[in-house]
Amino acid sequence: MRHQEVLDTGMKQHIGMKIRKLLRILHRDLGYFIVGMTIVYGLSGIFLNHRHDFNPDYNIYFDSFQTEIGPETNVTEPMLRDILAGLEHDVVYKKHYTTNQGNIKIFIENGEVVINPENGEGSMSYLKKRPIIFEMNKLHKATIGTLWKWVSDAMAVILIFVAVSGLFLLKGKRGFGRWGLWWTIAGIVVPLFFALMYI
Amino acid sequence: MKKIALLAVIAAFFFSCGNQKSQSADASKDAEKSAVVYSVDELYANAADLEGKEVTVKGTVMHVCKQGGGRCFLMGSNEDFNIRVEAGEKIGAFSQEQMGSDLTITGIFKEVKTEADAHNPAREHGEEEHDHDHDEEAEEAHRIIVQAEEKADVVYFIEGLIVVKEEI
Repeated sequence: MRHQEVLDTGMKQHIGMKIRKLLRILHRDLGYFIVGMTIVYGLSGIFLNHRHDFNPDYNIYFDSFQTEIGPETNVTEPMLRDILAGLEHDVVYKKHYTTNQGNIKIFIENGEVVINPENGEGSMSYLKKRPIIFEMNKLHKATIGTLWKWVSDAMAVILIFVAVSGLFLLKGKRGFGRWGLWWTIAGIVVPLFFALMYI
Repeated sequence: MKKIALLAVIAAFFFSCGNQKSQSADASKDAEKSAVVYSVDELYANAADLEGKEVTVKGTVMHVCKQGGGRCFLMGSNEDFNIRVEAGEKIGAFSQEQMGSDLTITGIFKEVKTEADAHNPAREHGEEEHDHDHDEEAEEAHRIIVQAEEKADVVYFIEGLIVVKEEI
């Protein structure tokens, strides 16, 4: 019996070692693989977190200017194009119309211009994409189609695997049982506290 | 061998992406050929008959939600005739670059029946406005949209399926 017990324990240890070795290999390789997406989600997550503080996708510029348009002016497209040519930001005319309030609204590429025909005062809002961050946000929000939705799901599963497998990599004093468990609990308590307090 | 396998996976991924784009372009061409294209004004004139059906509408983009482009508003003959189009999963998102463009969109024409269907800028963009992102364009657009909705007996929107054509 004693001999059998030794054999069984040895077998379990052997299997445990194999599993741990496999986890290490997968954690390592999938960890390398997922670094790019983790940075995408992390960085864009910061910008999206602050979406009520600033626009995460665009820098928005506002500008005011004065035109010679007055109440008697016959506003034409060439006239408006000339006005736009004199503004900053390389403004390109698209189309215009008169609003319900009697203002001239001009759609431009990447923004719009509004001119008050009574006094000629104009204002412009112009948007510029935040380079790289714009694309990261679209990936994060999965607004680029159905295929990406499934690919990003798979990426998320890999990320979860890398996180969970990391719990079991180390043995001994700094292993999960004696050290890692408390850090893991702390990491769960923080969001749990906010969820319970604010949701 | 492993490197070859990894490269093959990446190549297959990009190939299927290209395929998806060309499939989407084909679907767009098919939609362009077959559908009756309504203006926004015509859509409202026939709203009762078209409610719940797949329609194709053409209008000028007067507003795109700046928080992610999840919806846009198409304008008809004037600002009072505007219709909200939800991008949904099929379209993904509208871009600010589409402001002022004429879009032809196919989607399901629906009546707003529940709170979830309704357009609520405060809910979507946050209750608090911050001075350093004071957006007159968005505020003015929301004012026009809310005014049009308040005047209407029934409020409609379109659940977008595909952007058939974009004319700048």
